[in-house]
Amino acid sequence: MNPPLLSVERLQIDAEGARGAAPTPILRGVSFVVQPGETVGVLGASGSGKTSLALSLLGLLPPALTARGRVLFEGHELLAASRGARRALRGRRLSIVFQEPLTALNPRMRVGVQVAEMACAHGERDARRAMQGAVDMLGRVGLAEAEVRAQRYPHELSGGERQRVLLAMALLLDPALLIADEPTSALDVTVQAQVLQLLHAQQRERGMALLLVSHDLGVIATSCERTIVLHDGLVVEDVPTHQFLSAPEHAQARALVDAVRPAVRSA
Amino acid sequence: MTRQLVARLLHAIAVCAVVATSVFVLLQFAPGDPFATALDGADVPPSVRAEGRARYGFDLPPGERFARWTGALVRGELGYSASRHRAVADVVGDALPRTLLLVGVALVLGFAAGVGIALVQTRHHRRWQDRLFGVLTLGGVAMPEFLVALLAMTWLGARWRLFPVAGIGSLGDAAAWPVWERIVDLLWHLALPAGALALAVASRVARHQRAALLGVMREDYIRTARAKGLGEWNVIVRHALPNAIGPVIALLGLALPSLVGGAVLIERIFGWPGMGLTLFDALLARDYPLILAAVLLATLLAVVARTVTEAVAEFVVPRRAREP
Amino acid sequence: MAANAWRQLLDDRGARAAIGVLGAAVLAAAFAPWIAPYDPTLQPDPVALRLVAPSWQHPFGTDPFSRDVLSRVLHGARVSLGVATGAMLLSVTLGAALGALAAVVGGWVDGVVSGLVDVLIAMPRLLIVIALVATFGTLSPWWLIALIGGSGWLTTARIVRAEFRDHLQREYVLAARALGASRWRIIWHHLLPAVAPQLAVAAALALAAVIPLEAALSFVGLGIQPPLPSWGNILLDGTDYLTSAWWLVVFPVAAVSLTVGSALVLADRLRVAIAGEEHGP
Repeated sequence: MNPPLLSVERLQIDAEGARGAAPTPILRGVSFVVQPGETVGVLGASGSGKTSLALSLLGLLPPALTARGRVLFEGHELLAASRGARRALRGRRLSIVFQEPLTALNPRMRVGVQVAEMACAHGERDARRAMQGAVDMLGRVGLAEAEVRAQRYPHELSGGERQRVLLAMALLLDPALLIADEPTSALDVTVQAQVLQLLHAQQRERGMALLLVSHDLGVIATSCERTIVLHDGLVVEDVPTHQFLSAPEHAQARALVDAVRPAVRSA
Repeated sequence: MTRQLVARLLHAIAVCAVVATSVFVLLQFAPGDPFATALDGADVPPSVRAEGRARYGFDLPPGERFARWTGALVRGELGYSASRHRAVADVVGDALPRTLLLVGVALVLGFAAGVGIALVQTRHHRRWQDRLFGVLTLGGVAMPEFLVALLAMTWLGARWRLFPVAGIGSLGDAAAWPVWERIVDLLWHLALPAGALALAVASRVARHQRAALLGVMREDYIRTARAKGLGEWNVIVRHALPNAIGPVIALLGLALPSLVGGAVLIERIFGWPGMGLTLFDALLARDYPLILAAVLLATLLAVVARTVTEAVAEFVVPRRAREP
Repeated sequence: MAANAWRQLLDDRGARAAIGVLGAAVLAAAFAPWIAPYDPTLQPDPVALRLVAPSWQHPFGTDPFSRDVLSRVLHGARVSLGVATGAMLLSVTLGAALGALAAVVGGWVDGVVSGLVDVLIAMPRLLIVIALVATFGTLSPWWLIALIGGSGWLTTARIVRAEFRDHLQREYVLAARALGASRWRIIWHHLLPAVAPQLAVAAALALAAVIPLEAALSFVGLGIQPPLPSWGNILLDGTDYLTSAWWLVVFPVAAVSLTVGSALVLADRLRVAIAGEEHGP
């Protein structure tokens, strides 16, 4: 078997305690792997440490949180890598789409520039070529009239359009792994489906791996090959999705599946 | 936008009207007049006194004098300065540009330095650079401008003789010198007064800009910018600063009146012949038209500058905030 | 202010330092006659002891009239802090009263107060005070307090008005009203305690504003008149001797800056403590 694209080993994340108090654990030793091109869902209730997990992979944890353990990505030991080395990977090999498409975009910068900036951050010197690339990518993620829309500010776009902008940004440099942190929970149901479809279409086209983080079993059940369930800072399930849906082992996972079973069956 | 502009203009006019009226009324209650020293001696015959006062309209009832004075003011006439034997407009015409130069240079330098310091502090948040500048800017805020000026004068001026301690130029007959020499001489004399004022501006701007930047650094789009692999300086300058600078500009507008007050003292300390020094001289000489003009202009300066900064701040606030 | 905010304030190193400095300044002012080594107005030997550099006999040196600068700075604290405290109390009280009046009465009263604040806040305070003092000639310390305090109520009025208007719409005030509590009872028992923390911040800021104002006035010869010492007029005595007598500048500057800085830090930390209490669990 090929070496995995991403291998997380005994990852612990602790929140700094206030005034000398003991640190609060957020993740208590999480291990899993992601193969190239694979779609993995990370399922967990809010507060289970999903977002901290996603941020720690990119090295973007807030200063009050510290990560320990090993994270191997394309042969780089991420937690031990220098800041510069991690920055060079961010966006280029390892991308992320955030949850809240309005606040995740700079309100004072045209969306096209925000996408083009991704190329500039990784060595593109020609601003016009970067902008052209950004417009092309905006078109490919289904933003109508991309040429015009690229000149707009985030508040002039709809929620779905903003999410497409974030996706274009994340996909621009053809990353090997895309992390999507609740990519659809801020959107209307119909737009949710469109964005998920787009996500998968792009994933298949590029052969990229996708780590889909969500609290929504429906989202994960319809799109992921494998499901990891996080509970109380630990991985309580790590099985193929169909197996998970038919016979969840952990009590917490069973509760989750039971709660949405009718919806999943009808889907 | 037009409505706001009109409202601001009306506000500025109201401020000036209130100031003009109150200064005039106060001077009515004040003891003495411009001729007290020259005319009220025992050896001056009463007829001469009366004639002297009548020539400048000081024998009229206060109501009529106020009407005359405001009438002239509206026509743009500021009157005659008895202590300087020149038209007030000429005195002001000489002094005002010097004050504008002083305040303008201090404002631009101080603002740029303050923003720069805040950027460094944000980049190195909670590290020694942040702490060092935190202590320095606290000192700059705690120490009133005129005290900074005194310290600068003591060491940089009087003891080490790096800069001149008084006046606006030392070339004598300035017209005889080449323009370049004159500019250098002017800047050399400007260094200490403008520097002291700029230090105060920089400290205030830095403290507010740092707080605003750190607030913005918690926003989601900063995380997005970092996720792109942008360097931290790029994240701060391109993404955080444009979203954090608006409130600081507005705040600078609010702090301007105190800056003008500080400039008055600094002019006096360094003998910088601007509006502040003119005001002090006029107060000592009870030169009413000149006092009125100086106070009015200083207020006008503060109001105009504040309106401008408000408009600028309005222009640079986050677009998101302008959504209905 | 609630106990929590106090504890948070006292836990903060900066706030403790600020309280310490202000406390020391107040103690120095209160006990100046006992701790000062000399009479601040005594001119023992205007020839031999003129402008003596700091030494064991005169830790802060002597001034051009052979007076002991340490004694003058200590007694100056009495005068400067006395005037500043009086002016601060006046401006905060006046501001609170006018702000409360504007918020509670509303209508044209609110219009007049708010309009006045809007207009006056655009004017340079120092300039106005200088112009006033110069017009009326030199003033007694009481008049100085009245003038400096009377010109500083704007920000407090603004804060109190905004807070009052906010609280007037909250449920507990509506409930008290429904129970038939009188307007003044509501103000006194509900609204004033609610804005007390903000008033404390405003008071600290007002103190930080009036200390330099007094110093500036005395420095230009319009404030406290010699031989009574104040931090400002010690500086005035020093301006002619900048090349020779640095101690005439440094010690009063340090006194003003330390007290002003402490007041600013205190205001800042108070604000944080209050915010922490409001947003905390």
